[in-house]
Amino acid sequence: MTDEPTPLEPHESDRPWRIWASFAIVGILAFGAFLGVIVIPIVQGRSAGIDAYTAICRALGILPGSPAIQQTPDRSPASPVSQVVWTPDVLQILADAKPERGRAKVLEVCSACHGEQGVSVSPDFPHLAGQSGAAIYKQLHDYKTGSRSHELMTNVAKGLDDATVADVAAYYAAQPKRNPNLSTLANAPTNIVQLVELGDPNRNVPPCAACHRPGSGGPIETPILSEQDTEYIVAQLKNYASGQRRNDVYGRMRVIAAKLTDAEKNGLAAYYRAGFH
Amino acid sequence: MRNADRLCLAHFWVAFSAFLAACVLGAWQMWVRSPLGAHIGTPGQYFMSVTAHGVSMAYVLTTFFIMGFGYFVAVTALNRPLPGLLWAWVAFWMAIAGVVLVVIPIGMGQATVLFTFYPPLTASVWFYIGLVMVVVASWIWCGLMFVAMWEWKRANPGKPVPLAMFGTVANALMWLWTTIGVAAELLFQVIPAALGLVQTIDVGLARTLFSWTLHAIVYFWLIPAYIAFYTIVPRAAGGRLYSDTMGRVTFILFLVYSLPVGMHHLLMDPEHGNGTKFIQTLLTAFVSIPTLLTIFTISASLEIAGRLRGGRGLFGWIGALPWERPTVLATGLGFVMLGFGGFGGLINMGYGMNAMVHNTSWVTAHFHLIFGGSVVIMYFAIAYEVWPRLTGRDHLSLGLLRLQLWLWFIGMVVMTFPWHWLGLQGQWRRVANFNYADPIIASWGPLVIVSFVGGLVLLASAFLFVRNLYVLHRAPSMAAIARPLYALAVHPPHRVPAALNGFGLWNVLVLVLMLSSFGYPIAQFLIAPSPGAMVHRVR
Repeated sequence: MTDEPTPLEPHESDRPWRIWASFAIVGILAFGAFLGVIVIPIVQGRSAGIDAYTAICRALGILPGSPAIQQTPDRSPASPVSQVVWTPDVLQILADAKPERGRAKVLEVCSACHGEQGVSVSPDFPHLAGQSGAAIYKQLHDYKTGSRSHELMTNVAKGLDDATVADVAAYYAAQPKRNPNLSTLANAPTNIVQLVELGDPNRNVPPCAACHRPGSGGPIETPILSEQDTEYIVAQLKNYASGQRRNDVYGRMRVIAAKLTDAEKNGLAAYYRAGFH
Repeated sequence: MRNADRLCLAHFWVAFSAFLAACVLGAWQMWVRSPLGAHIGTPGQYFMSVTAHGVSMAYVLTTFFIMGFGYFVAVTALNRPLPGLLWAWVAFWMAIAGVVLVVIPIGMGQATVLFTFYPPLTASVWFYIGLVMVVVASWIWCGLMFVAMWEWKRANPGKPVPLAMFGTVANALMWLWTTIGVAAELLFQVIPAALGLVQTIDVGLARTLFSWTLHAIVYFWLIPAYIAFYTIVPRAAGGRLYSDTMGRVTFILFLVYSLPVGMHHLLMDPEHGNGTKFIQTLLTAFVSIPTLLTIFTISASLEIAGRLRGGRGLFGWIGALPWERPTVLATGLGFVMLGFGGFGGLINMGYGMNAMVHNTSWVTAHFHLIFGGSVVIMYFAIAYEVWPRLTGRDHLSLGLLRLQLWLWFIGMVVMTFPWHWLGLQGQWRRVANFNYADPIIASWGPLVIVSFVGGLVLLASAFLFVRNLYVLHRAPSMAAIARPLYALAVHPPHRVPAALNGFGLWNVLVLVLMLSSFGYPIAQFLIAPSPGAMVHRVR
C-alpha cells in the first residue's frame, strides 16, 4: 500500500530487488519444505519401517500417526488389570469370613506349599503368616479371573468361591507373624534404607514405605512385605519390571520395578527379609 | 508543551507506571518461590500476581511505550506534525479503558490465566475484552503510522523515508500481521468460552493461533530497541551509522521472518506434523540474521565513533567510546545480554535441545534476559534521550542514570543466570511454589535465593529509573534541547530502490510465507474434527 513507484525511481532499479528477494525467500521456503517434508521423513521413516508415502503424509500431518486426522475410537470395553473392586459387598464378605472354615480348606489345598501356619516350604512360594487378608483375597481373586497367572495357583483359585477365598485369607491373616531376625536388622545399607523411606525423586521412584507398612499399608490390597523370602521378592520385582506380572492397579509396581537396578532389587528383598526396623 | 509532546509523555508515563508495578510483583513472586518466603501466600495469589506481572510487562509497558515512541519518531524524524492527533488521543484513552477493564478482574482474582491465556483456563470475559481494546487501540496507532509515512512520501517524492520511520512502519505492519492470530483466538474461541456460549474449546487450535502471534509479538517489543541502535546510538557515541541500507534490510527481514516461525513454541505439541515444525524451525534460524547484521553494523558504527575519538589499534576504539553517556552504556550492556540471551534462544530453537529445556526455568530466564534485559535497557536509554526533548528540561547529572543502567544489567544477570542453570536441572516453570522438603528441590534453594537477590537489584533499579525521570521534571526549564538526536549515515542515502522504501513487495512475500507455514496447520482443524484429546471442557 505504501510501495508506490514514483517517476524519480526508475523501474529498472527496483526490478532486481523484486526478483532476487522473492527468489531468495521462496527458495529458502522451498528448501525447508524439501528437507522437512520429503528428505528427512523418508530417511528417518526407512529406519522406522515406514514407507516413503506414509512418512511424507505424516510429516505434513495428514495421515494417522498424527492427530490431524480423527483417530478411530477404541470401542472395546476397558479391561482393568484386576477385577477386584472394594465395594461394600466385597468388604462384607471379608468381614464375614471365618478362619475356622478357612483352616479346613487350607489343610486340604494350601498347606502343602504355604504351610499350615503360613510359613512356606520353599522360597518359590510366599509366606502368608500374618499377611493382610485383603491382600490374600485380591491375589486369589486375580488368579481366579486370570488377572494373575501361575501354573499351580490359577487352577487352585478357580476351584474356590468368593466366600471360601475370604475364609482362607482370614485364616492366614490370623496366623502369628514371625519375630524379626534381629541379627540381620542392623545391616541394611543406607541407600536401600533411603529408597524405602524417601524413594528417589530423581527417578520419580516413590518410597516403598509410602504403601508397604508394617500394619495396614496404602491401598487396601497392599501386601505386608516383612519376613518374605529374598528370592520371592526379587522374582516378583523382576516379573513386574518385565511386565510378566501385571495385576497391579495403575501399573504402580511395574513402573517402579522397571526403574530399580538389580542391586536395588536384591537390596530391597534383603531389607524386607530382615523385617521392619 | 506541544500537544504531540504531551501525547508521547502520556504514553510513556502509563508504560513506565505499569512497569514499576510489575517489577514490585515480580520481586514478590521470586520471594514466595524461594525458600525464604515459601510459607507466604496461596497459589491463587501467586497466579494472580503472575498474570498482573505478565500483562503489565508484555501488553501495557510495551504497547504504550511503542505507541508513544512511534508518535515521537513520526514527528521528529519526518519533521512534520502528526496526522490525526485526535485519533491518537482516542486510541490512548481506549487503551487506558482497556487496561482498567483488564486490571479489575485480575485484582478480583477472576483472571489468573497468565498473559498467554492457556485455554481451557478461562478468566472473566472483561479481562479479554480489555485486552482486545488495547489491541484495537494499537491498530489505530498502526494506521496513523502508515498515514504519516504516506503523507511524507507524497510530499517528498523519490526520497528515502528516514530510517527511524521506516523501522517504525515495519513494526506497525508486523504488528497488524501478528495480532491476527491472537485476535482470532480471543474472538472465536476464548471470549465465547468465557461468556459460556460454548462448552468446549479446541486447545490445539487455540495454541496454534496463539503461536501465530507469540513470536512476532516479541519482535514487536524488540524493534524499538533496534531503531535506537541504528538511529540514536551512533550519534550518541559521536559517530555515524555505518550503513543505512543494512538498517532497512534488517527491519525488512524482521517483518518477513518473525512471522512464519511461531510454531517453534509448539515443538512439543502433538497437533502438527514434524514437517511443518521443521520448516518453521528453519525459518526461525533466519530470524537470527537481522540480529547478526545489527551487531555487525552497530559495532562498525561504534568503531567509527571510537576512532574519531582517538581510539587506536584492534580494540583501542572500544575504550575510547564515551561510556559515560547513558545511551552508549545501555547499548554495551544490552549487547552483552543480547549475546547470552541469543545464545540461549538458539538452543530453544533446536528440536532436540528444546525438548530438554521445554517448560523449565531456562525458558523464563531466556525471555527475561532478551526482553527484560537487552530490550528494556534500550527502552531506558530511549526514555533518557527522549524525555529532555519532550519536556524541555535536561538531566542535571548523568551519574544516577548510569548507576540505574548498571543495576539493571547486574540484576538481570544475577537473576537469569541461576534460572538458566536451574532449568537445566529440571526446575519447572509456571508453578506457585516448590516443595523444599524434597531433597532434590532443596538443592535448588540456594540458587533460587541468588536469583531473588537479582530480582531485588532489578527492583531497586526500576525505582531509580522512575526517580530519575521524576527529577528531570523538576529540573529548570530550558528553551530547547539543541543537540540532534538521529544519526547520519556514513553515506547518507539519496535514493533507494522502492523495495527498500516501502513494504508492498514484502507484504506479498509475508503472505506467501504465512500461507505455506500456517495454512494447513490451521485448516486441518476446520477440515476434520479434532481428536478428543485436543478438545477440552471449558467449565
